[in-house]
Amino acid sequence: MELELILNTIARALAFSTPLLWAALGEIYTERSGVVNLGVEGMMIMGAVVGFMVGQATGLPYLALLVAALVGTLMGLAHAFISITLNANQFVSGLSLTIFGLGLSGLLGRSYVGQPLNVAMKSVTVPFLSEIPLLGPALFTDQKLLTYAGLIMAIILWFFLNYTRWGMTLRSVGESPKAADTAGIPVNQVRYLAVAFGGLMAGVAGAYLSLAYRPSWGEGMTNGMGWIALALTIFALWDPLRAIGASFLFGAFFYLSFTKLQTVIAPELLTMMPYIMTIVALTVIALGQGKRAFGAPEALGIPYQRGER
Amino acid sequence: MKKLIVLAALVLALAWAQDKPIVGFIYVGPVGDAGWTYAHDLGRQKLEKELGVKTIYIESVPEADAEAFIDQLVDEGASIIFTTSFGYGDGTLAAAERHPDVLFGHATGYMRAPNVMTYIAEMYQSYYINGLIAGALTESNKLGYVAAFPIPEVKRHIDAFAMGAKEVNPDATVEVRWLFNWFDPAGAKEATEALIAEGADVFAFTEDTPTVIQTAGEKGYPSFSHYASMYDFSPDTVASGQLTDWGTIYIDFVKGAMEGKYTNTNLQDLDYIWRYAEGASIAGAKPGMPINPVYEDALKAKMVNDSVLGEISVYDLVMKRIEQMTAGEFEPFTGPIVDRKGNEVYADGVVAPLGDLMGLEWAADNVVGDWDNEP
Repeated sequence: MELELILNTIARALAFSTPLLWAALGEIYTERSGVVNLGVEGMMIMGAVVGFMVGQATGLPYLALLVAALVGTLMGLAHAFISITLNANQFVSGLSLTIFGLGLSGLLGRSYVGQPLNVAMKSVTVPFLSEIPLLGPALFTDQKLLTYAGLIMAIILWFFLNYTRWGMTLRSVGESPKAADTAGIPVNQVRYLAVAFGGLMAGVAGAYLSLAYRPSWGEGMTNGMGWIALALTIFALWDPLRAIGASFLFGAFFYLSFTKLQTVIAPELLTMMPYIMTIVALTVIALGQGKRAFGAPEALGIPYQRGER
Repeated sequence: MKKLIVLAALVLALAWAQDKPIVGFIYVGPVGDAGWTYAHDLGRQKLEKELGVKTIYIESVPEADAEAFIDQLVDEGASIIFTTSFGYGDGTLAAAERHPDVLFGHATGYMRAPNVMTYIAEMYQSYYINGLIAGALTESNKLGYVAAFPIPEVKRHIDAFAMGAKEVNPDATVEVRWLFNWFDPAGAKEATEALIAEGADVFAFTEDTPTVIQTAGEKGYPSFSHYASMYDFSPDTVASGQLTDWGTIYIDFVKGAMEGKYTNTNLQDLDYIWRYAEGASIAGAKPGMPINPVYEDALKAKMVNDSVLGEISVYDLVMKRIEQMTAGEFEPFTGPIVDRKGNEVYADGVVAPLGDLMGLEWAADNVVGDWDNEP
């Protein structure tokens, strides 16, 4: 019975954490370039509503996913324009993006409330792998493609960030934009790309919710997941590979809080765990030797203007 | 003479205006929540259609800000205002004191004033009907229940559901999972998945999303929609549910106010607790469908022994209970009732007073799960 609980937890943690992983990966890249985008929740929910609308109109969930990614990208670009080109306050811009996204999605989705999605993303069972005893069914049965795509994406992004010249370029822009500029790297262009990419990933995360996880539209259906993704970015210490573990852990605690454990441990305590861990991580960073030791980009949240010190 | 005509016209216009009041609504959520606020808005539309009154509403009003938004509705001419969430209580009373000419209705509340009445469309009787169906449909004898908060309103629903299930299936237990949230789609999803993993095969819930219906439906398990019809989310598996019609109360009260029966001085003791008999909450997968035809045969095949009705199929029993409750001749919370701690709640033949039910804290003896404030 306990083994079954563990296996179920693994399976459900994967499914639940998928949107968190996608969004957190996007935010990791955004922040690695030195820009904070607090608009994840807004970009996610716009991805969710537009994904649902396109999915309902066409019956093609993967086309809907592409459009949602595009919408996320556009919203990311809006943040890039405001915070990089116009040099406005990043936090205000990001927050506005969230408020804007929540409002606009409610308006756009109004007539879609109360409808299930006609054609949802199918669950997949991976042949052969799903037959591995114990872990096979937990990891490879009845999951969505986007769950696996997210895991693969994390590995690719980790490799790209740490072992390619492009990745180094991105990191240098986030660590020391001035040095990067001196070395001939177009700082703002790189940041634009990273922020747009963050939007793309958030759009995918939102679309997963409305096209696969719970194939319907409900106002405010992201319900704070964008904020959790932001917390995970920190909890993962800005590392794509650690984001897998962080989001999985979050998913596991989330699922466990709804199992029969409710009678043993207060469910509030279980759902609180990831937040507590994030606070601990933040505290450790604050008390530690500064941002650098933990992987926080040195120039995070600081706009870059040539000639300024 | 001319002045007199103008005056007469004015008086007439005024009389006309009084005849057709403007009715304002304060909503806690968006009308698009497909649940609570949506149901109130359907009631508002029905009121407008039936009585021809003008209605205005404000959505997503934070509970602490009710007073300011009530002022806004009064400014726009509302003479009757419904505040549709428990948390608006204080704001409603304060505003009512400053606007003594305006009539107020506070949903699910308990604090009244000469110009503030309280009202609720109570659905535990529908839950009881759902329980009868659930008890007959389960094969594992485990019914899953996803619940928002351990408060009397929700506990009452769970108990009524559990008692219905027990009536047709003494082995059926109700496994409860708490979300500690009214709106948490992901939580509802994972709670349902957890219940499925633990063997539950029929599902009911009290929270504000259709998630349980969809999640159970994906695996082919029957479920009961909450509040409004959620039939479309899984037409093959929504067995029944609770259909709330706030419009019945809105129409009755506004009509009463227009006829002068309800005034700004006599609402102190007016507390609408409307149930099956008044049509405020009936059981059904959707309007006109008390039981999904998909499950008709299974329910007709399942026979039970009732002490009064004798050998009867669950299908007939459901129909009989609906008939009885519509006529006000049957009450699910009738003794003997023993809670799960073994305490006698009601002796044989005692019908639970409504006031008791509104503050219900005990758990039915076939309920399994965490239960805050259990007496």
